[in-house]
Amino acid sequence: MTRRRIVAIVLAMAVFMSGALTGLVGSATAQEGDRPVLRFAVNAADLASLDPHFASGTQDRTVADMVFNGLVRFVPGNSAEIEPDLATEIPTPEEVDGKQVWTFTLREGVMCHPSAETEAYELTAEDVVYSLQKSAVPDRSAYSRDYTGMTVEAVDDYTVAITLDQPLSETLFLPKVANYSGGFIVCSQAVEALGDEAFRTAPAGTGPFMFESYTPQNSVVLTANDDYFRGAPQLGGVEVRYIADPSSRELGLQGGELDLAAGVNEAQWVDRINAEGNIVADVFGVAEAVWVNMNVTQEPLDDPLVREAIALAINREEHAALRGEPVSELIYSVVPAQLMPGGLTMEEAEEAGVLYQQDIERARELLAEAGYPDGFSMDLITSEMTDYAANYEVLQAELAEIGITLNLTVVDHATMHAQIREDVNPIVIYVAFRPNANVYLSQFFHSDAIVVEGEAPITNFSHYSAIDDLIEQARAETDPEAQAELWKQANIQILKDFAAYPLYMQNLVYARVPELDYGHELVSSVALYPQITEMTTLATE
Amino acid sequence: MLRHIARRLLLAIPTLLAVFTIIFIIVRVAPGDPATAALGDYASAEAVEALRERMGLNEPLWRQYVIFLGDLARGDLGRSLITETPVIDQIAFVLPYTLELAFAATLIGLLLGIPTGVLTAVRRNSMTDYVGRAVSLVGLSFPAFYLGILLIYFFAVRVRLFPSVGSAPFSEPAQNLHYLILPALTLGLIETAYIARMTRSVVLTILSDDYIRTARAKGLQEKVVLVRHALRAALIPIVSLVGIFAISLIGSSVLVEEVFARPGLGKLMVGATKQKDYTTLQSIMVVYALIIVVINLITDIVYTYVDPRVRYG
Repeated sequence: MTRRRIVAIVLAMAVFMSGALTGLVGSATAQEGDRPVLRFAVNAADLASLDPHFASGTQDRTVADMVFNGLVRFVPGNSAEIEPDLATEIPTPEEVDGKQVWTFTLREGVMCHPSAETEAYELTAEDVVYSLQKSAVPDRSAYSRDYTGMTVEAVDDYTVAITLDQPLSETLFLPKVANYSGGFIVCSQAVEALGDEAFRTAPAGTGPFMFESYTPQNSVVLTANDDYFRGAPQLGGVEVRYIADPSSRELGLQGGELDLAAGVNEAQWVDRINAEGNIVADVFGVAEAVWVNMNVTQEPLDDPLVREAIALAINREEHAALRGEPVSELIYSVVPAQLMPGGLTMEEAEEAGVLYQQDIERARELLAEAGYPDGFSMDLITSEMTDYAANYEVLQAELAEIGITLNLTVVDHATMHAQIREDVNPIVIYVAFRPNANVYLSQFFHSDAIVVEGEAPITNFSHYSAIDDLIEQARAETDPEAQAELWKQANIQILKDFAAYPLYMQNLVYARVPELDYGHELVSSVALYPQITEMTTLATE
Repeated sequence: MLRHIARRLLLAIPTLLAVFTIIFIIVRVAPGDPATAALGDYASAEAVEALRERMGLNEPLWRQYVIFLGDLARGDLGRSLITETPVIDQIAFVLPYTLELAFAATLIGLLLGIPTGVLTAVRRNSMTDYVGRAVSLVGLSFPAFYLGILLIYFFAVRVRLFPSVGSAPFSEPAQNLHYLILPALTLGLIETAYIARMTRSVVLTILSDDYIRTARAKGLQEKVVLVRHALRAALIPIVSLVGIFAISLIGSSVLVEEVFARPGLGKLMVGATKQKDYTTLQSIMVVYALIIVVINLITDIVYTYVDPRVRYG
């Protein structure tokens, strides 16, 4: 090959490259017709299930929120409030033969999305009955436990009656029929035509966006549902991309490839992103609570003096500093008072004598009193995830101050979840959001839920059984204020018995381009993302 | 040659069987439960148990193994435990992206690495040599994911020449190429460093051989000596090593696919590992094992073309 030929080839390649790049670079937004398509990266490698009754990961809740509705809904951006969704209004319950009946009137003209096997059709009471019944079946729903003791009947095409064997307050009942978990209403004809398996990757609901396609490990594409009952969406669609690496999501936003992305739950990250100017970081609820569970039946933690010593060795501010304000906020009961009724504020905890601030000297005295003047050692496992590993390490340092040695073994996250349910850890640090105080208390502190040994083992890691009555009384209480008071009493008792020690709660962090307007104020979201609705806009140049 | 290929393929069967068995055991020995991973920690015990049953995880291990081998023999890679989509479809979708990336990176490695290696060998102990060796040492020491982030930062964020993350379908070749360049450069530059150092060392050895001295003594031009004699002989070890590099490239692509959020076998594997998706994970491993066998076979065949002394009966 002559030098001239080599030069010619190089020049030809340069021309090709520049030609290829022209027109490709700088596409700041994607378009669907005359409306922009939102490019949204979630923190996951792939979906797990788009059937809303199995959607538990944030990445799946996100899609379910855009595709489906409930009879009622958490107000977008403010999940402390509930308003009608598919129903025309929130009914007042009636008592019939000792049972409680909630009768919902449905909106007329709500259209189910078309699916691969079905045309679009009008949603009726039959769909609602089918959907809530599906939510109650264990192999068709991950939330079946929440729908037992519930009978659902279609009174006519637009009226649904829900009868509860055990009357519930609206605080406990409405979330069951809201746009969350088993409360999402699926379109029965689509589920029946597609089958449960296919429905998990090709859902059909009534929401502002319709499922269009799924590319494994890559993306889900949603298009605008122009027949949406609240009006056609301002966006042409949403492309949900699965990007597990936080740096890639950030670079995707900065490089103009993304409009919205899951962020990093750290105050430093939020400050850095906001300082850069071209991206905005949003911090909002709902937050996950972080707390320490202590096994009250296992030596040496079966001695309340030892548990009290541990509680007095802990400085919750140090744990909260792992995330930093405003991402983390201190909590004074496992049920976060900031998020739901039944939690304790700092003042309430102080008044009840269960605030427990760090006091190393007193902790050492208590340990000596309990017969452990030189402390003791304990083997614990932790997940590799920062939320867990870092909190265990801080706890390790705190307990070392009073002579307790924690030997930590790091395992992968799924393994930790599996093993703590097999009762391997006498001390369990847990990070979780639950929709109300009843779920927090029932799953973590009712004796039925004791891991391994309980009647229906869930996540009672502390083997605590002293507040069963309070939990059950509160569950049956239909007056919301009296109910919240019972939950507060339960929280106080947990702290008095040192079964758990609340640390902090951590808010959600997302980052977006400034051109993206959610269309609502963003305070909190049970969907665990900022919520994209028909009102969301993305300004284009 | 055909007989040789057939014999190599037959010999690969026990190797693959051993690999499949090890993979089957490893993915199941690792603690963690796919049903819990899929449903999350809020799910009821009944729901988790129902899903375990549907996933076939309650079957005895030996039966799962027999089913796995039987399906494999029929070319059925099964369905994802999590999404229940056929694994073969997932792999068929992502494999071209991984192969495209590995091919482009190897091409960059060869196009930049061989000339750099030859140049540094011919100009041994000159400034060109020192700079070439220093740069390739940096390339060898650079982790792929970090180089990827640096390239994104400079060429996608600071100067918006290329897209930062994602990919484009093959039906849009210009877009596809546009998305390919940065990931391919990430792997290709590291590949360049390996090939340059190896080429330099091979060429240096060959340049001191007797036949090169003879060629020079015959009065041949240095360019002819280098290209017709030295480089031809150097290609033999380079080809075999490029085969090995190609295999390691497919491994390195895991990180690059993660950083660039590109579809690919590596990204699929990481996702399946996180979700404890046994069937997808073991099928990807099977495909990796097959790719390695095929690359070794191709390397053998290319050998016969570059080295006339090698002949298979």
